[in-house]
Amino acid sequence: MSGRTHPPLIVRITLHVAIYAGALTMVLPVAWIVSTSLKSHHDAISAVPTLLPAGPPSEWQWHNYAQAWTIAQFGDFYRNSLLVAAVVTVLSVAYNALAGFAFAKMRFRGRNLAFGLMLATMLLPFQVYFIFAYVLCGWLGYVDHLQALIVPFLASAFGIFYMRQSIITIPDSLLDAGRIDGLSDFELFWHIVVPLVRPALGALAIFTFMASWNNFFWPLIVIDSTDNFTLPLAVNRLTSDYFTPSPPIRMAAAIILIIPTVGVYLIFERSFVKGLTLTGVKG
Amino acid sequence: MNSRSPSSSWRGWAFIGFPLAIILVFTALPTVVGVALSFFEWGGGDRPRFIALDNYQAAMTRDPQLWLAMRNTLVFAIGTVPVTVILAFLVAVALHARWFVGKTLARTLFFLPTVMSIVAVGFIWQWMLNPRTGLLNVIVAGQGADLPDWLGDSWLGLGTMMFVQVWRNLGFCVVLYVAALGRVPRSMYDAASVDGAGSWRATWHITWPAVRPMTAFLMITGTIWALQVFDLDVVMNGWNPQRFNDLLNTHIFREFKNGRLGYSATIGVFVLVLTAMVTYAQLRWLRLSKATTV
Repeated sequence: MSGRTHPPLIVRITLHVAIYAGALTMVLPVAWIVSTSLKSHHDAISAVPTLLPAGPPSEWQWHNYAQAWTIAQFGDFYRNSLLVAAVVTVLSVAYNALAGFAFAKMRFRGRNLAFGLMLATMLLPFQVYFIFAYVLCGWLGYVDHLQALIVPFLASAFGIFYMRQSIITIPDSLLDAGRIDGLSDFELFWHIVVPLVRPALGALAIFTFMASWNNFFWPLIVIDSTDNFTLPLAVNRLTSDYFTPSPPIRMAAAIILIIPTVGVYLIFERSFVKGLTLTGVKG
Repeated sequence: MNSRSPSSSWRGWAFIGFPLAIILVFTALPTVVGVALSFFEWGGGDRPRFIALDNYQAAMTRDPQLWLAMRNTLVFAIGTVPVTVILAFLVAVALHARWFVGKTLARTLFFLPTVMSIVAVGFIWQWMLNPRTGLLNVIVAGQGADLPDWLGDSWLGLGTMMFVQVWRNLGFCVVLYVAALGRVPRSMYDAASVDGAGSWRATWHITWPAVRPMTAFLMITGTIWALQVFDLDVVMNGWNPQRFNDLLNTHIFREFKNGRLGYSATIGVFVLVLTAMVTYAQLRWLRLSKATTV
């Protein structure tokens, strides 16, 4: 397609229409719940739905958001989710980068074995290991505490692999120069490697934050008491029979849930997409 | 690297020790124990009771719901992964073309569902497909007309779940394909235009084979994810016990919640074996097809 000849105009127009129809399919459902979240209860469940909330924007039901926030006590859950995601992101990116550096640029006994073992764990299905991971968290006293959402996520095989692929592209001569200057391994990492792989660190931080924020299956298993709910658990509860607020409030809650990840994505779109394509897969 | 960090040293372990321990303790060890647990009866409390192959026998002979879930999971994987990958390829080819207007905007829109919490995805589609007030009713059938129960306990419900799976994974594949297309050397096309190959033929005969490794990657990871899908089922259908459109992992989780840890591990082993088989088959297909890669 990148040859010198363009397809005929009619083909180009058709393709544009098809692609943007697809893009609309991606966005329309999201736009629809945004619209619903700003309607009155009566309008939202009307048998004749309207695309936009009634009246000018100043008359839209913005207070639905405030209501969703207070009804569902989102303050606490937001704090839990942010705390977990922040701790996991900062620490796991650091640990993954350190390990990635060792696998890429240090030679030591058992390195290849350890690396192979770690890569193999990436293929293991969650459905086999969650059972004993849960039991283990019980023995450690983590069950129903936020530690259960933090400690197992302090390092990841994907993250280590990702950082290793990035660090391995740094020329050895740079590190050798540092060694001659008498830098320790950690100083090499800190003063030479980290500044060079900052984009990869940023991308990994974004991935990790999103994965932690969106994590649903594992919290569903290990967290029982409402106090320790993360936001996805709290929002999910809004569909259960004993506690179902009106549709606009529910949709406002869903928007509150996705704002951080969609926001991070839109702000860092460029580095996110770039980071995603640097995962070491050659095409 | 050099003589100052000889391979006889243990120093690297200071860097990898803790992260590796986390991964082994919370992933590798529980997998091994999980496989072992499939030979035991265990509620999580007392000593596990060794029952040899009884769990497997029960799964094979006394659990029709398991085979329903197995069928659905396979239908789910086969019905979503190739569709997602092929659609993504076509979208990526268009987005990659020089004449396409609004590449970044289109890419951003396609990727949007990927970053959203699965819980929100469930809310969105339950609301879109609501039989009374859903937008789909307005668009497709006009106001007030009767539409089927999209999320019902039927083939249609399974189909709807598959549609949503494609919807939320397409953007990921598009972005990776766009990157792969950017790495296809221009010289390949130059040779083709000398031969007078048109765009369609160039796409089919040059671009598609050239991105084959990416296709293989997306097929393998997509299949692994599809076999493990669980949360989509929960957020779209709730906790209905034992249903027509049950999936393997919903079944596992239900057994787990009922305190039958050994038996849920047994079904987990089925998933493990299935995953290994599919991965192996696809890797083999990739290797066999390498000869045909340009």
